[in-house]
Amino acid sequence: MTNKANEFASASRSAIQTPEMVAAVAFATNSAAAKRNIAFEVNGTEHGEALRQQAAEARRRALRKLPELLEQAEARMQANGIEVLWAKDGEEASQHVLNIARQHNIKHIAKSKSMVSEEIGLNAVLETAGFDVLETDLGEYIIQLAGETPSHIVAPVIHKSKAEIRDLFMERLGMAYTDDAAEMTRFARRHLREGFLKADMGISGGNFIIAETGTLCLVTNEGNGRMVTSLPPVHVALVGIEKVIETLDDYATLIQLLARSATGQVMSVYANLINGPRRTAEDGGPERVVVILVDNGRSKIYNSTYAEALACIRCGSCLNACPVYEAIGGHAYGWVYSGPIGAVITPLLTGLENATPLPHASSLCGKCKVVCPVDIDLPRMLLDLRHDLVAAGHAPLLWRMGLRGWAMVSRSPLLFGLVGWAAKWGSKVLPKHRTIPVGPLGGWSKSRDLPEFAPETFHQLWAKREKGNDHEQP
Amino acid sequence: MSSRESILKNLKAARSPFVDVPPVENRREVVLQDDLRPEALRAHFIKEAEKLSCQVTICASAADAIEQLLALLGDDRLLLSWDLPHIPLPGLAEALEHAGIKIAAPADAAVRVGLTGIDVALASTGSFILFSGPGKPRAVSLLPDLHVAVMTAGQIVPNLETWSATERANQIEDFRQTSSVLIVSGPSRTADIAMQLVLGAHGPAAVHILMLP
Repeated sequence: MTNKANEFASASRSAIQTPEMVAAVAFATNSAAAKRNIAFEVNGTEHGEALRQQAAEARRRALRKLPELLEQAEARMQANGIEVLWAKDGEEASQHVLNIARQHNIKHIAKSKSMVSEEIGLNAVLETAGFDVLETDLGEYIIQLAGETPSHIVAPVIHKSKAEIRDLFMERLGMAYTDDAAEMTRFARRHLREGFLKADMGISGGNFIIAETGTLCLVTNEGNGRMVTSLPPVHVALVGIEKVIETLDDYATLIQLLARSATGQVMSVYANLINGPRRTAEDGGPERVVVILVDNGRSKIYNSTYAEALACIRCGSCLNACPVYEAIGGHAYGWVYSGPIGAVITPLLTGLENATPLPHASSLCGKCKVVCPVDIDLPRMLLDLRHDLVAAGHAPLLWRMGLRGWAMVSRSPLLFGLVGWAAKWGSKVLPKHRTIPVGPLGGWSKSRDLPEFAPETFHQLWAKREKGNDHEQP
Repeated sequence: MSSRESILKNLKAARSPFVDVPPVENRREVVLQDDLRPEALRAHFIKEAEKLSCQVTICASAADAIEQLLALLGDDRLLLSWDLPHIPLPGLAEALEHAGIKIAAPADAAVRVGLTGIDVALASTGSFILFSGPGKPRAVSLLPDLHVAVMTAGQIVPNLETWSATERANQIEDFRQTSSVLIVSGPSRTADIAMQLVLGAHGPAAVHILMLP
């Protein structure tokens, strides 16, 4: 997918000017965040926090042993009858998929949700090669019809109102007018059912791979993930190399926290553990299952101070908690992953220079870390990325000059005192609400009152206090 | 160098992250349960399954359950089903024949009702687990609008953690031999259109559990 993260400022400006979108996103994120919070409080705050730390440990332990666990997962998947391929980048991953599709003379491909496939732009590759590709998650299907990209990891069509989707279905699929979401869903179900039955290859993502058992794990609420992995004779799963976990016990913890974090459910409707193709005498299930382990920048993150970002289980709760995401939605982030986790991994996966505004797309309020089921320190990484941006010379000129000035002033007691004096008197002559009419602070002070300077500086207060103490001493 | 080798080489060359994260001493179960007596587990399972929008009917006997099933089938004369030996309802074959109900091929997407047994049930979340295998086609619990699952109260275990521990202790090889292990928690659902919950997205819109003693 094309990366437009550097257009963040203009994209978020236009996002704010679409009130329907802003309202839809705010409603959806607030209700998802509320459900998540309730789900974590059921057995008390202490228990919820202990679970978060348990899940955090499971993911970090898996990452610590990542190369060994990948080898174990590969060997056990192969023993279970799953073919394993490796892809260093998106191009190689797409090529693997194309090869498999050609080997089987595939015509129709049904896809369930896969963020990796979005990341590598798989649909475009397959369509260019002449394959018919159908997105089957209802949200992704709507996105595909509209020719858009997902704006949320879990709820891809969060930015669209019901009326917009109705109009799209009426225009593109000839649906009769209805305002009922259930009726619209049933209509899409009939359309997609035909697609499932006709598909000769299924493509899915993967939520986890369990190393000790060689199991590919998938969750789906709608059931499309089951269709795609059960009905067509060939199933290909694209999975990031970081998705491996160590044991079935870890799975038991993580799968339940994933559901609670994503939607507030106790479990996703279908949690599927796939151990291979159909067995002898089994009626149904694919004859061939291939897992493609995709690196695409992940091993580089692994070898950096940002390895923590690889612990992410893609629940979307940091998006739902984020005041910035709530205000602008996901598209402004410019690439596949949005919200706080997107602001961290987009620069890491696509290059810092291609996503310079994203580390700043945060107020650092810290909510994203608090709601993360695996306790990823997103604010810390956002700050570190800002540091990297400055070090790499990506800070705006005005900002660099300002910081340089600040450093100069702070180092000289004389200058510091002078500037303090000037600020105190200068702020007295400002107009009502102390707005600054010109200069870089103009915009900032448009919606904020510049704080009034205290009549005395800290130094003056301190000197007074010391003097007072002298008097009191015997 | 193959991509496999170069990826693994890069990972192995990196300094292992998180070496300072201590192991978890006392692992917690996600749902706290204090009463593990069979009758408490049964009550817990029913409560949670109903919260997930499942219908649960407690049946006094196999004959009672068969009667319930026939009522759910209504005028339908076709049924998707696991092979009958996998469903704990002795006398079912005769009853279906008597009622003139035939079992359709598992890929027949036009049939309204699918009948399965279950392999394990989880009290903590009201979920049940289906193991695929000969005579247990996956499509039966997927394609029809109504999924009827027959279980016995004895199949209920406390939670996913207990199930996982049992699998690891005894039968991890059996688990690995099963091509698809599926944990089902209620009917298929979506909220993709304006966050409105709709049951029956792609899979069954209703799940009816017939529970035998």
